[in-house]
Formats: sequence, structure tokens, C-alpha cells
Amino acid sequence: MKAVFLLLMALLVGPAAAQGDPYQVLRSTGDGYASVVPGRPFDFPADHLPHPDYRIEWWYLTANLKDDAGRHWGLQWTLFRQAMSPATDTEGWDSNQIWMAHAAITTPDGHRHEQRFARGGVGQAEVRREDGAFAAWLDDWSLSGDGAAMLPGRLRFTVGEAVIDVQLASDTPPVLQGKGGYSQKSAQGQASYYYSQPHIAVSGSVTVDGKPTTLTGTGWLDREWSSQPLADNQQGWDWFSLHLADGHALMVYRLRHDDGKHWLSGSWVAPDGSARTLGADEIELTVLDTRRVRTPSSANPEATRDLPLSWRVSLPGLKREWTVRALIDDQWMGGRFPYWEGVVLVDEGASGVGYLELTGYGR
Amino acid sequence: MTSAEPERLGGVVRALLSHYWRHPWQAVFLLAGLVAGVALWSAVQIINSHARASYAEADFVLGAQATHWIRSRSGDGIAQADYIALRRAGFRQVFPVVQARVSTADNAPLAIIATDLLALPASMAGEGGDALGDANLDWLAFVQPPYQAWFPAAMADELGVAEGEQLVLRDGRALPPALIAAREQQGRQIFMDVGAALSLLGRDTFTALAVGPISPDTAARLAAALPADLMLEANQQRLDLTQLTASLHTQLTAMSLLSFAVGLFIVFNAVRFSLWYRRPTLRTLRLMGVSVRALTLAIVAETLVWSALGSVLGLLAGLGISHALLPSVSASLQNLYGAVVGADLLLDPLTVAIAWGMTLIGLAFALAWPLLLQLRGPVLPGGSASAGVLADARARRVLLIGAGVLALAAVGVYWQMASVIEGFVLLGLVLFAAAWALPQVLASAHRLLGRVLAGAPLVQRWIVSDGWAQLPALRTAMMALLLALTANLGVETLVGSFRTALAGWLDQRIGADIYVNSARLDTRGFVADPANAGWLATGHARTGVTIRWQGRPTKVYGLDTTTPDTRALPLAQSAPDALARWAGGERLILANEQAHYLGGLRLGQTVTLLTDGGPADYTVAGFFHDYGNPYYQFYLPREALARGWRDVSSTGLALWLKPGVSAETAEAALVAAGVKPGEWFAQGDIKRLSMKIFDRTFAMTAAMNTLTLLVAGAALLTALLAILHERLPEFAQWRALGVTRRELLRVIAVPLALFVTLTWLAAIPLGALLSWLLIYDLNVMSFGWSMPMLWSPLPALKLGLLSAGIVALVLLIVLSQLTRKLPQAMAQLGSTQ
Repeated sequence: MKAVFLLLMALLVGPAAAQGDPYQVLRSTGDGYASVVPGRPFDFPADHLPHPDYRIEWWYLTANLKDDAGRHWGLQWTLFRQAMSPATDTEGWDSNQIWMAHAAITTPDGHRHEQRFARGGVGQAEVRREDGAFAAWLDDWSLSGDGAAMLPGRLRFTVGEAVIDVQLASDTPPVLQGKGGYSQKSAQGQASYYYSQPHIAVSGSVTVDGKPTTLTGTGWLDREWSSQPLADNQQGWDWFSLHLADGHALMVYRLRHDDGKHWLSGSWVAPDGSARTLGADEIELTVLDTRRVRTPSSANPEATRDLPLSWRVSLPGLKREWTVRALIDDQWMGGRFPYWEGVVLVDEGASGVGYLELTGYGR
Repeated sequence: MTSAEPERLGGVVRALLSHYWRHPWQAVFLLAGLVAGVALWSAVQIINSHARASYAEADFVLGAQATHWIRSRSGDGIAQADYIALRRAGFRQVFPVVQARVSTADNAPLAIIATDLLALPASMAGEGGDALGDANLDWLAFVQPPYQAWFPAAMADELGVAEGEQLVLRDGRALPPALIAAREQQGRQIFMDVGAALSLLGRDTFTALAVGPISPDTAARLAAALPADLMLEANQQRLDLTQLTASLHTQLTAMSLLSFAVGLFIVFNAVRFSLWYRRPTLRTLRLMGVSVRALTLAIVAETLVWSALGSVLGLLAGLGISHALLPSVSASLQNLYGAVVGADLLLDPLTVAIAWGMTLIGLAFALAWPLLLQLRGPVLPGGSASAGVLADARARRVLLIGAGVLALAAVGVYWQMASVIEGFVLLGLVLFAAAWALPQVLASAHRLLGRVLAGAPLVQRWIVSDGWAQLPALRTAMMALLLALTANLGVETLVGSFRTALAGWLDQRIGADIYVNSARLDTRGFVADPANAGWLATGHARTGVTIRWQGRPTKVYGLDTTTPDTRALPLAQSAPDALARWAGGERLILANEQAHYLGGLRLGQTVTLLTDGGPADYTVAGFFHDYGNPYYQFYLPREALARGWRDVSSTGLALWLKPGVSAETAEAALVAAGVKPGEWFAQGDIKRLSMKIFDRTFAMTAAMNTLTLLVAGAALLTALLAILHERLPEFAQWRALGVTRRELLRVIAVPLALFVTLTWLAAIPLGALLSWLLIYDLNVMSFGWSMPMLWSPLPALKLGLLSAGIVALVLLIVLSQLTRKLPQAMAQLGSTQ
């Protein structure tokens, strides 16, 4: 789940709505776009490519890495596709597709991020097969598969002056989230198609301030597309993707409702890639600590927000419980559509590492 | 000064200022003068500094900084694939720009500029300067069909386009729905999405790629990454614009200083009369023992009050005027130099400070002189009319001597003159010498008239001799009027001469029937195509390269030496048999007049141009007129150009039709050859368009002219009302003696008419002198254009009528005042004086 999902939707009706309540936009029904229904068969590698009949879609990668000294690093790279109208897409400048990409790197010294936009239809940004191989790019940021699948592949991007070039590989199948890839987001029926690859071996080099560092670790890939994602009463969400030390992977999220009855969901993935969907009654999320975080924006460089950066994550049915804490507070994605997303440690790193995304706070 | 004096000073100031409560009109005039002077000056100051600030932003394209441009060497435009390849190679500072000219249904030219907002470098920074962050911008509507066409409000007004309307072009194509909005640096261009522009124009290439801020290393990598046909060039627009427009700004400043001077005349008048009125008060105060020093201090305090008030109001008015004048200045700048000037005006603190300083100095000058005369005199002066006349004669003599000194200085400057600023100093000296000499001229003429009418009836002699009483009061107003009339006539002749020269030049130069400017057309192939032989008499396909010469962008054109326009090229100066020898391949070159007057090139001199093969020398065989072009330009035979430069681009095609062939035949052939409607102009359209641009360019001059004349009219009104106030008791006495109101008005009107007529007559030769200096010296120094001066009596007659109208209006106001105030004045007869 991505914060930007919601915020990008705000684009649909232009700035007036974006400056008011972007959530209001999400209450639109997505008329004219293809709708998300249960029981859709998934087809790989074809489903790695865009689904332009749906309003919104993303290719989302995070990686928890370590250098030779054992210090924690983090990478985030996301490519968003957005259809501006339900009409069939045309090639060229008249295309109704636009693209946005977010990138961030968490280094032992801090966090940097960057955003980009591009038009569809002209080749500046696209996801398609080039010479039979999977290729996703926006300008010189790219995720290129060795073959028709996304993985194994190579991720190359920059964040300001930092240059990232890593190899990605996985030997487990994609995990279909929710019910066979149908991920329900509310009791009213809002949903998305959602699959993940939680077991990715990542290795490569990162050059920050002219200094190259070799890194290795694990990555997480999320693919999601939808036309009508959110219910009326949902304010934002808290989303965890954790790589546990025992080889398991855990994804849990909570869509926060106005009335405090939040929508919880998740999946528990074994080292071999077999997964079990977690229902709302199987997940407990508790905020342990809220921190005041600098959240600068162009409008207010001095802004701060209170964000829950320390949590207890419990799976009572599995009798498992962890504390999850942000590696550093300052991992704010202060772009045009701001949210917090960053590296977290599980039980101070002893039980694993992961990523946490927090949206809809302090609006 | 004793401790009691500050209190007393306060009392003195109050006593002095109380005068204005009794005579609010004088306060009004004093302020009017200050405001008029400061307003026009500050308006021009605001516009100038605004324009300069805009040049500083000239390296911004639609809000994004462009440090470099990527252009095609062959002039073919930039292929989209080349652009995408650069973006995918990581050159994200590069963004596409499409610029084009199209014409409306009634053939008005429209400039279109387009880019991809999502690709602007600022939009990717994420913080600040976000191209998508503009709250007024619905950019989703902007980037997708049916798109939007952004019209700056002024343009939408001119074209009669309302929001949501689709402007239909001459060929029937329609622009995207209009939005009344403008981006930074949009200027008088219609802004739209690059996709909208490409589809509108039926093109698939960009005009150029703009490059945002990049490091020298990245620039070098970018240059190396370009395909062979593309080249990276630094954006020098800001430097070029600052240099090119310097003359125009100097001219504007000079005109604004002139109106400041005219405004000062009003102030001078007002102060003079306020002091005259307060002579009894001053006398009383001095008799009460107030020292000359305390009085001086009090008057200084008064000066400060007025100057502060005048500056504030003047600056406010100036801000208003600058808003009104900005569109015409913007049009001048864009027409002459292609400089884009934004619409937001700001008053900077320096302008405020200078305005206040100027009013202070001006006011001090206007106050100091009369004040000194007043205070130096005995405490109880004679106070007789003859004393006033004697003082006036003395003042006239002093002014005449001053005028002589100024005239001598003017002669000196004329011989030394080398810069535009010195040129304006000369104009100032000439104008003020004439103005200062005017009172003596008027007095002499008046005396002469008195002699002529020596034997005339009493009433006539009375009226003439009353002129002596009016002259001191009218003196400054007449000087202001002379300045305004002279400036008007001078500029009028300049603009008229220029217009005639331009029209004649266009007739000679625009000889072909159709002019085509299309990147798609193979111009030489089109002319040579036998299929066109049926209707085409001759075609002239010009080629050109842009180089830098003397640090300025310079165009070198390659001409076909056999076409009628080349054979009859009008030259301003030329060596014997120049055209034939130039065409004969003798390494000769023709240059525009700008290269002669501004670039210092002379006939027969060698000019060195940087060709692809290194520096090459050419001998200058002649200079051609090139009105309206701020750049240097050279003509070479087409073959010579191709020898020197590899990548010459096609710069247009002129077509002569065979007799009896209709334009439609030619247009059909052009369309068949792939030319889009809007890419050709008929001869008549070009001429009309050029004259339209000319008129718009000089709209500012006309506006300034009118304003100066209005200020002079105000000066006249001030003077007459002052006379009225001053002499009201006298008029009341006359009225009591049985003089009718009509006779009274005649007494006022006839000398006034005499003085105004004389001033107008003096302005005619003076205006001619001014235009002579403007045309033969200043214009050449500023723009590098020469033209014959055409003097016509019409502007003088027009101004004469206008002055008569102003005088009539002023007299009407005076008459109404007279009617209103005379009864009271008569009732007071005997109570005063």
C-alpha cells in the first residue's frame, strides 16, 4: 500500500480538490475505469506490465541493506502510473497516461529523496518489454529485467547526487495478497489487485557524495492496481513490510477509520514463498511512541508533525510479537505528495529489518 | 537660537502654512506640479527597472531557467526521439520548446510557445519552484486533449477571445480552448502544451530544447552526447538584451526627465505665488522680530512637508501610470528586441528615495530663489507695480544670460558628442536654452506690439499694456509650454520621418508577391521544380547562419544574386558599382547600417567573420537600410555563404508570380509541397504587419507626448488662476469702474493668446531643430538607422489647434472662477489694501 496512491488520486480533479480534502476525491466511484473484482486469474510475466484500463498502478521496491561495517542502509524506488481519463490510451502526446516516480535512500548519515514526473505515450516514461525484456523507466531511472519477468533484474536510479545500481534476484514465486490477489480495502468493497515479491536478494553499489559503497541485503517488491481504492471514512494508513531474521516475511497494514475501527489486513510469508493471508482478528498494531519529526515542505520549511515511529506488532494466533522502531526519525518524503516512509528495525534489529509507511498524519 | 525659539518656530510654520487653508487652490497646484513631475518620472523609472529585471530573467523560458539551448544545425528542428534519448541518458535539465507564428482569421500574427510542464527542470526538484505547484494551474487539463491555450489578458482583449473559446486561425484550424492566464516570461505569446502545439502545427519536431542550470562538466557531456545535427549553445539572451535595449531605456528616461522638468515649472509657479501672497505675513512676522534664520527654517520645514506629500502621491500616480504604459513599452521591447517583459510591477526603495530627493532638490530650488529675493529685500519694500515689473525685467535678463551660457555649452557638447547620454544632455541644453530665452523674446515682441499700437484706441493699448502685468506670472508657464510643444513637434517629426522611410523601404524591399517561411519546404527544390514553372516567375531562397560579431548575435545571409530584389537592393551608402562587383564574387560583403553606425564599420574596410574554416576577410562594399533590426547583419552571395559555413539553414523563400496568376494557384502549390497555411504571407500582409508593429512600437512615444502636453496645460492653468487670485481686487475695482466681464476677459485673454501664439511660433523651428538632432544624431547613435528628415507643417498646426483648445478651456475655467469670486471681491473693495 502506498501513500502516494491516495495523493496521486487528488490529481484527478486538479489543485482545488488537492488543496482541500484529497480524500474526498477518493470517494469518487471510478466510473468508466475497469473495476476490481474477486477471482481474477493472474498471469505472469504479463501482469508485470501496465493495466491501463485501471486508474492507478504502481511498481514499488524497497530494500534493507548493510555495508561491510554492518551499518543499515535503505532504498525505496516507486513508479506510479495514472490514467487521467477512462478513455483507451493512445500513443503520442495525446496519451492519457502520466507517470510519477519517487526515490529515496537512507544512509548511515541520513535520508534523501527525489520525485519525478513524466508524460506517457512519448517514451520518456514507460513500462513495457524492450527486446523481449521487462523494462520500466522514467528518464534515467530504470528497473530492467534480464528477461520478460521483473526479476532477476537491475535497478538503477539517482537521488540528487547519489547513484544507486543494484542487482535483484529471487527464487520464490510472487505472493498474491488478499484472496488470490484481490485485496479488499474496506467493508464497502473498495479493493485493488495486489501481489508482492517479499524475498529478493539485493546486491550492488551505492555512490554517495562521490564515495562508492558495496551493499547487500533483502528487498521487497509490491505491485498494485486499482480504480477505486478507498472508502469514505478512511483517513490514511500504516503499512509494514518486514524481513524477519528467521527467513519469514510479514506484511501488515491498517487503514485508519474516522471511528477508530480500523481496517487491518496482512500476510505471513514462509521462507519458501508460501503465504497465509492474515485477517483483521489475527493482527494487533499498537503505537508505543510518537515522535515529533521535521517534515519540511516548500510552503513551510520549518514544519513538524507527530508521527508514530515506534510500534508493537502482534500476531496472537501465531503467538508472535515484535517491537518495530524507525531507524532514524527523519525519513520524510517531502515531495509534492508528502508522507513518511523509511527503514525500521524489528526488536532493535535482532529479529529483522523492514520498511514502514505512514500516511494521512497531521493534515 | 534661544530656548524659546523652537516654540516660536512652530508658530511661524503654522502661520506660514495657514496660508494654504485660505488658498487651497495653491496647495492643489503645488501638489499637482510635484505629482505630475514625480509621477511621469517614476512611472518610467518603474518600467525601466522592471524591464531590466525581466532581462535578468530572459534566460528563463516559461518560468524555467535556460542556461543553454540545443538547436539543429540544419534548422530542421529537434526530433522527439533525440529528446527522449537525452532524457533517458540522464540529461533531465533538457526540456522541449516549440515556437511558431500563425495568423488569425483576419491575418493578425500570433506567436505560440509551448513546452511540457511535466518535463521542466523545476518540477523535478520537488521543493519550491515547482512547475506543477501553481495553484491556478489545472495541469491535468493543460496536458491532455482538448488542451488549453493560455492568452495573457491584454492579448485576449485585443483578439476578443473569451475564456473557453477556441480561436480560429486563418486556415480554419482552431487553437485549444482559451484560458486567460500567463506564465512568467510568456510575454505576448500564447502558451500551450507541447502536444497541443505539435498537433496544431502538424509538426513532429521541436523548435529547440532548452537546458536548465547545468555544471560545465555536464554541459560538456551533454554536448558530446548530441547527435551530429544538434548543437549546444550558451543562452546569451540576457546579456544581449541588456546591451541592445540600453538606448531605448535612455530615451525613456530622457523623456521622463523632461516631464519632471515641466512639472517643476508648475511647482515653481505655485511656490512663487504662495510666497508672493504671503509677503504681508512674512513682513508681519519679521516686524514681530522673527529672525531671517527662523523664517528660513520654517520655509525649509514647509518644503519638507510638501516634498514628502508630493513624492508619495507622485509615486502612487507613477505606479498607476506605469501600469497603463507597460503594455506599450512591452510591445516596443518585444517588437524591437524580442524581449519579453512580465506584467508585475514593483516600486523599489531606490526609486522612492530618488523621487523624494528630486522633489526636495527641485522644491528647494523653486523656493530658494524667490525666498532669497524676498528675504534679502528691505523689511518694508516699495510694493509698487513698477517694482514688480523692474524685478521681472531683471529676471528676464538673468534668464537670457543663462540661456546664452546653455547655448554655448550645447555647441560645445555637439562637437564632442559620442554617446546617447551626451546626446540627451545636448537636447536638454538646447531645450532649456530656448526656454530661458523665451521670456525675453516674449517681452521684446510685446514691446514691439506696444509700439505698433502706439496710436490705437485706448482699449487696445490698455489691453497690450496689461500684458506687462501678466508676463511675470505667465513666464514660467510659457517656458513649460515651449518645452512641451517643442518636444512634441520634435518627436512627431521623428516618428513621421521614420514611418515614411520605413514605408518606402518596405515598398522597395518587399517586392515579391509571396513570402514563405517553412521548415518543411525544400526551398531551392521548390523553385527549380518544373511543375511550378507555369505560375512562378522567380523565386528567391535565402540561406543564413547566425554568428557572433563584436560580441553580438549577427546574422549572415546568403542571397541569390540574380533575383529582382537582390538586383535592386537599396543601399544607403555604397562603393561605385558595388552590387555588380559583390555579385561577381570579389569577396565583397554588404552590411546593414547598424554595422556601420554602431559597429564602426566603414566602406572599403575589411570585416573578419569566423567561418567554419577559421576567420575569413571580406571587404565592405555597401551598407543597406535595415529598419527595426537591433542586430548586425551581413549579406553574401549564396554561394559565398555556403563556402564559408557548412550548416547554413534556409531562412525563407520569396516568390514572384507570373502576370495574371492568382495567389490561390501559388498557395495550392505550396500546400501541395507540404507548407502549412500560416507559413506564408502575401506581400500586402507583410507591409501591413510591419506598419502595425511600427505603430505599436511608437505607441509609448505618443502616450508620453500627450502626457507632457497635459502637464504643460496644467502649468498654464496654474499660472492663470494665480493671476486671477492675485489681481482679483484689481479686477473688482475695474468692474466697479464699469468694465464689463467680457472686456475683463479680453484683458486676460488677448495677452495670453499673444504669448501662447508667440511660444507656439518659437516651438516650430525649435521642434525642427530637435527632430534634426534626434534623426541625424541620436537615432543613429541609438539604433544605427539613418533616414531623411521630413518636416511637415501639419503637426505644428495640429498642436496649434490643441494649444488653442487648452487655452480656451483654461479661460473657461478662469471665467467661471471670475464670475464666482468677483461679487465677493467687489464687496470687499476698500476693506483690504
